[in-house]
Amino acid sequence: MIKWISALALLIVPVLAGASDGPVSADNAPPEVHQGRQVYEQYCAACHGWQGEGADDWKKPNEKGEMPAPPHDDTGHTWRHSDAMLFKMIAEGWRHPFNKSDRLTMPAFGESLTNQEIGAVIEYLKSLWTDEQREYQAKESQ
Amino acid sequence: MRAIVHSLTRAAWHFCALTMAIVLPALVHAQPADDAQPVKALTTSSSGALLMLRDSSLFAVEGGSSTEITLPATDQGAKPTSLTRGADGSVYLAGPGLGMWRYDSASEIWQSLNDTLPNLGVTALAAHATQPGTLYAYLGKDGMFRSRDGGTEWVKVDSGPREPVQAFLHSDMPGSMESGWLYAGTTRGVARSMDCFCFWGDAGDLRGTVSAISYDPAAPENVYAVIEGQLHHSADGGETWTSLEIPQPVTALAFSPAQGLVVGTVNGNLFARGAAGEWTPVHD
Repeated sequence: MIKWISALALLIVPVLAGASDGPVSADNAPPEVHQGRQVYEQYCAACHGWQGEGADDWKKPNEKGEMPAPPHDDTGHTWRHSDAMLFKMIAEGWRHPFNKSDRLTMPAFGESLTNQEIGAVIEYLKSLWTDEQREYQAKESQ
Repeated sequence: MRAIVHSLTRAAWHFCALTMAIVLPALVHAQPADDAQPVKALTTSSSGALLMLRDSSLFAVEGGSSTEITLPATDQGAKPTSLTRGADGSVYLAGPGLGMWRYDSASEIWQSLNDTLPNLGVTALAAHATQPGTLYAYLGKDGMFRSRDGGTEWVKVDSGPREPVQAFLHSDMPGSMESGWLYAGTTRGVARSMDCFCFWGDAGDLRGTVSAISYDPAAPENVYAVIEGQLHHSADGGETWTSLEIPQPVTALAFSPAQGLVVGTVNGNLFARGAAGEWTPVHD
């Protein structure tokens, strides 16, 4: 009986592990995603987290009255925005209108990054989402 | 003695039966439009008329007179509770058991928008401030649905705020990452999200069950919310709130291009707010 269960587990576990209902493994990701991850780690990770986990308590203003950096993984809302909107946000930055300071909540990187690098970062962010989120975001991008 | 009592009892029963026979038909045929009924919902039509939902009847109020608009034929138990106007002037009606409907004022026909909604339990609705085809429906535990084609295809986009939504609003106030903001009047106060449904946060610290919400399209930072009949105003998009003097407890809100903020009251009256904050009755 135990042998049967073990055999069944050997069959099922690799199938479940191969199912892609979750973030894409970095090992088998396309080169653009690898590049995007490098750019992300250099320019974005300090605020948005090394795994895209975002700042602690990101849904509430911090002590300066500013909204903290949100996650980019499947717990955040990045997947709700179209490619065009994400590109604009990264290139031009954005200020949350209810922040107590005047500075940009999200700095502009249009001077630091090429359009191709921004596109690569967006592709990397997509690798952090679930299949369902990628599908939703693809429709938003149409 | 027993015979006398028996006769009196029979006479009393006959009198009661006769009275019921006369009164009941009259009650059944009584018009539901009763001025003393609270105004449940308000909006404006493309012609500028105020549309007022009172009890289970809808009235167009314009030029000092009111005209009843026949509601869509639905199953018993359907409760019209919400009204709003789309960016193209279309009027939408919703409620539990009713789902969502659009009114064509030219043909005077209601069109059901319920084909792809999971059920008819719409408890709050909103229309995008600038995109004519974009509509929002809140179906309680089933979550929030959005249509971008005028109600043909509905897609679940979010679960909504933690507390149940009682009133719903889309605003084109600037500053959103996308095309505007959503305000949800909940049992805890006003919740606010950008219209990407990124996340719902508290709009200030106004607390209580919000029964109506509106905003000034000409000055979108001005948001109005009703809690237990009391009207509250925010001049900064919902960050801070102040209470406004009102003539009667308020039950419904709308912004009229001609009259500005109009409130419907628990007594079935309409009042428009002037520039100095004074209230003027709107006669129907």
